[in-house]
Amino acid sequence: MLPQQAKKAIAGSPKKLANLIDLVNLPSTLREFVGQSQISRLGCFMHVWSYIKTNNLQDPNNRNVVNCDEELRSILLGKPQVELSELPMLIKLHFPKEPK
Amino acid sequence: MGKIPPSFRTAKLPLTSLLKNPQSLPKQSPNETLDQPHRHFPLSKKPIKKKHQSSLKTLTPSSQNPNSIAFNSPNLSDAKKLFNSIISTSPFPLDLRFHNSLLLSFSQISTNSDSLSFLRHMIKIHPSFSPDLSTYNILLTQSCNSPSDPDLSAVRQTLDLMVTNGFPPDHVSTDLAVRALCSVGREDDAIELVKELSLKYSPPDTFTYNYLIRHLCKTRVLSTVYNFIDEMRSLVCLKPDLVTYTILIDAVCNSKNLREATRLLGVLGEAGFKPDCFLYNTIMKGYCILNRGSEAIGVYKKMQEEGVEPDLVTFNTLIFGLSKAGRVGEARKFLGVMAEMGHFPDAVTYTSLMNGMCRKGDALGAVALLEEMEEKGCSPNSCTYNTLLHGLCKSRLLDRGLELFGLMKSGEMKLEASSYATFIRSLCRGGRIADAYEVFDYAVKSKSLTDVSAYSVLESMLKSLKKAKEQGNAC
Repeated sequence: MLPQQAKKAIAGSPKKLANLIDLVNLPSTLREFVGQSQISRLGCFMHVWSYIKTNNLQDPNNRNVVNCDEELRSILLGKPQVELSELPMLIKLHFPKEPK
Repeated sequence: MGKIPPSFRTAKLPLTSLLKNPQSLPKQSPNETLDQPHRHFPLSKKPIKKKHQSSLKTLTPSSQNPNSIAFNSPNLSDAKKLFNSIISTSPFPLDLRFHNSLLLSFSQISTNSDSLSFLRHMIKIHPSFSPDLSTYNILLTQSCNSPSDPDLSAVRQTLDLMVTNGFPPDHVSTDLAVRALCSVGREDDAIELVKELSLKYSPPDTFTYNYLIRHLCKTRVLSTVYNFIDEMRSLVCLKPDLVTYTILIDAVCNSKNLREATRLLGVLGEAGFKPDCFLYNTIMKGYCILNRGSEAIGVYKKMQEEGVEPDLVTFNTLIFGLSKAGRVGEARKFLGVMAEMGHFPDAVTYTSLMNGMCRKGDALGAVALLEEMEEKGCSPNSCTYNTLLHGLCKSRLLDRGLELFGLMKSGEMKLEASSYATFIRSLCRGGRIADAYEVFDYAVKSKSLTDVSAYSVLESMLKSLKKAKEQGNAC
């Protein structure tokens, strides 16, 4: 996928953008983790990623892997280890598409 | 290239510079607002200036409280009250410039009719204040600034007011009105107004004329611009000058219409103008946009034949064009030529050349050029680094890319969208997701991109990576 295309995809579709930055009412599990009742998908990703960084949860041997602690496990499907590349997809699960 | 530097214009007119940052004025503290005229009327006599300043010093502390919210509300009665309190507390007579700056800052947040009432109020309360042309120009600018005004009725009203008060609009008024109208996208009204003003009062000067032409070139089709030029020629005998032709040629070159540019070049010769360095640079740029390197060199040769001294921009354009067309070898030769002629290649020159080398796949050569450039005492800018980063990623030299990224980080340079995306993609493909996340963090922290675009690039790259893995052809 070319970068220009990726850029165009975002600029050209307000729906995708809205999907990323609209505030959403959170389910209870996520609410406890984030500490807010509403957050956007982007905000949630930033929050989780900064949580991983501040708690040094990246595996020292392979930094592409995150060793989940209790709290992180509760929101990421209970997995003990998560690959960084999966992170956006896992977070997206908490933000289902709105039924039309 | 071929553009009139903004300083050209503002230096000539005190009032235009007064209008340069209309947003910032009302927010300033009252002290600063009152100080404004000093900076913008540098020719005023010194004794008056001193007197005025001293009056301000005594004035501000006493009226600090009502003044601290100076013209925060567009409400007319508030403004009147404020004015009354300043008048009653000021022990010194206030001059015209003071009233003008008050009116200006009020006009920036209020409606046209309110400003007019405020002006009338000031005249009534303070009879020694007699407004002059600059005062009315403030009102004129305001009436032109409103985004919607069918049939120019508000503008016409102001013009009538100016005439009845004995201050018919001059070329300064025309200039202010045209700039205000263009800034809110009312080009058709601007054309209309210029025609009307030239017939009734005073024709625009060449600066206003060229400004309007340039603005029209950007926003309207070419035939509109030509119509306007023809009309002005028949109305007030205002003929396009060399600057106008440069603007026109620049516009047609940007729209890749080189045939028209050649025609204009002929017209310009017939009108008795000789192309200067600026114009040649513009034409050369036109050829470079179209990747026509031979023609660009042709322009360079023509300049030499005509005895026009090429400048740094000429060489930069030429090197950029040749690199873009994939003729890096020739571009490098010109690096030597320009040094011989006493022009020092700058960051733009080197970056164009690096860009060409990277396009050819010679990223390492480009990095070598970076060293050469730094040896010669020319410091690279963020564009240089972005170009190199892009090139290194394209040539799959990830380690060198990361090294360069470290340099950029320490230099606090911003990432450009395209090099960011390429870098992220190569990192993800190379399985260095953690590094990609780090780059993402830096892009967000350094405010190179918005959070949204930075994240969406990362997300889409990871997604396509996953897809590729599922299909079993991950790189």
